[in-house]
Amino acid sequence: MEYRVRIDEQVYPLVATSMDDKGRCTMGPAGEPEPVVIKVVSSNHVRLEIQGRARSIFAARSDDGTWIWCDGRARVVKDADLEERRKSRAPGATAREITPPTPASVVRILVETGDRVAKGQGIVTVSAMKMEMTLTAPYSGTVTAINTSIGAQVSPGEILAEIAPDDEGDGNE
Amino acid sequence: MFSKILVANRGEIAVRIMRTAREMGIATVAVYSDVDADSPHVIASDEAVFLGEADPSACYLNVEKIVAAAKHTGAEAIHPGYGFLAENPVFAKAVSDEGLVFIGPPAEVMEDLGNKTVARRIMAEGKVPIIPGMISCEADVDRLCSAADEIGYPVVVKAAAGGGGKGMRIVEARKDMAEAVELARSEALTAFGDPTIYLEKCLDRPRHVEFQILADTRGNVIHVFERECSIQRRHQKIIEETPSPALDEDLRERMGAAAVAAARAAGYVNAGTVEFLLDGSGKFYFLEVNTRLQVEHPITEMITGLDLVRSQIEIAAGQPLRFSRQDLTRRGHAIECRIYAEDPEADFMPSPGKILFMRSPEGPGVRFDHGIQTGYHVPVNYDPILGKLVVWAEDRPAAIERMIRSLRECVILGVKTPIEFLIEVLSSEEFKSGNTHTCFIRDNCAAWKPDRGEDALAAMGFVAHEMAAPSFGTSTDESSTKSGPSSPWQTLGAWDLAR
Repeated sequence: MEYRVRIDEQVYPLVATSMDDKGRCTMGPAGEPEPVVIKVVSSNHVRLEIQGRARSIFAARSDDGTWIWCDGRARVVKDADLEERRKSRAPGATAREITPPTPASVVRILVETGDRVAKGQGIVTVSAMKMEMTLTAPYSGTVTAINTSIGAQVSPGEILAEIAPDDEGDGNE
Repeated sequence: MFSKILVANRGEIAVRIMRTAREMGIATVAVYSDVDADSPHVIASDEAVFLGEADPSACYLNVEKIVAAAKHTGAEAIHPGYGFLAENPVFAKAVSDEGLVFIGPPAEVMEDLGNKTVARRIMAEGKVPIIPGMISCEADVDRLCSAADEIGYPVVVKAAAGGGGKGMRIVEARKDMAEAVELARSEALTAFGDPTIYLEKCLDRPRHVEFQILADTRGNVIHVFERECSIQRRHQKIIEETPSPALDEDLRERMGAAAVAAARAAGYVNAGTVEFLLDGSGKFYFLEVNTRLQVEHPITEMITGLDLVRSQIEIAAGQPLRFSRQDLTRRGHAIECRIYAEDPEADFMPSPGKILFMRSPEGPGVRFDHGIQTGYHVPVNYDPILGKLVVWAEDRPAAIERMIRSLRECVILGVKTPIEFLIEVLSSEEFKSGNTHTCFIRDNCAAWKPDRGEDALAAMGFVAHEMAAPSFGTSTDESSTKSGPSSPWQTLGAWDLAR
């Protein structure tokens, strides 16, 4: 089997042969697979022995990929081939939107519709787990809409305020 | 002794308190909000009372509902844990007004010490050294700026009602005062219901060293050694240890005596903590008294063998301390790491979500006080602490190695945690040398990024799991609620894991 495994920005092409009844197979980068032994401990736990050194790997699947744990490091690991097949939309320009980084509640709205705002100016303050953070204008412009209210529970991706940029040619794109 | 107590808290601390109660033969009552209905602290209790919606004011901060729950269930005393109402004198008074016992200090003492400016005055009168700064509150930005000019920048804006790093901002220059004051006031209002603030001198890279105090109703006051809590992010402790690498016996003796003097000056009863800042020259300053059980209390328990919750309950029941200062010895070294749902790569931003899988570390000298389980949703509404990993070993180097080993075994998948970051801090030469101070993370770990050196191994682990997973049938997504062809094992798994 060939796999293209992605961790954040990095893709690791790997090849693996099927396991025999003792869990023995070869696995590794194309062209240099090594003999390994895979022991299934539970549905979330495999023991991976590579050249006499065994590592415990814990795994849990989610909609965003599989969370893999190895010696204190957690990584969200994805099947890049599967991802490409599923790819439905280009990554949005999220950095240009006023949206909370984490589920939060709105504590203050610092601007009104029609206000002129400068890049970096505070727009909305949200609180998550008792910690406050202020979402700032990603570019200068005019506030065209406030889509939230004080006390509202909001999630990442939810656009809390809309800003029409001053000038299309400000080179931010 | 009480026969039943109510624990007015949630998460790991509620579970921890109930464990001691059970050992003492005391029945426990849990309280919970709608998002906590299936939480470990509810499961651990003998009976549980629903308080209301997730918003803290409707549940864990609701004095009336909690007192009514205690009356209704016949609990004789209330343990507040830490956070929420633990340092709220109004709550303590409401509890005693109803003829119940508050497991903590008297309301008046809490009120005095809870107000940091009042506490500073009491300590100054008791000849306990305090940090240079204001001893009354001020809201006016111009007057705060004048005070800061006098004290000298940088200064710290602090909430008078503060604690736990909330409502606290460092101001480096006059121009930043207005914004810092606004943020500190707002955070203080949310966290403590009181927006008043004052200024203190910001010391250069101090250590945070605190002393555990026990005081009974008969006038016995002792200290139970120190805890060093210098490793902090956003002014909140994340690694604590005892003994402090900075203290010799002479300094320990002097600071301990100051802590006992502070407790006596305040008329303290029950367990409390006197916090000091210690500068590079060995000078120490009173910071505050925490009138509650501290998050980091287990490290004191590890080196002394005491159960501080048991002491709290005995003191609240009117019993004298069962030991004197001379009876106490400390042995070895203990370290605690706080495990929060947070992202160390994004300035420790909270990371709520579902725990897809967890497994506790085990083995000699390891204690993991936590309030989570596989399938548990970490709610957005409360402090994101998941648990506290505590280790004990015969000396500091062995304790560090044991903590690193335990963190590697502390599997939590589905939410971001600082575990990888903590391992790096503990592995650093700077930490190993004991050169810890409150700016340690800012100075040594700014813009931290994970080491990608072993990502290829994680990729192989992924492939191994993909290859191995089919042996579990078509419903390999063991962590989700997706239904597949059912077998008793899957049914049991879903029941066991999710709820």
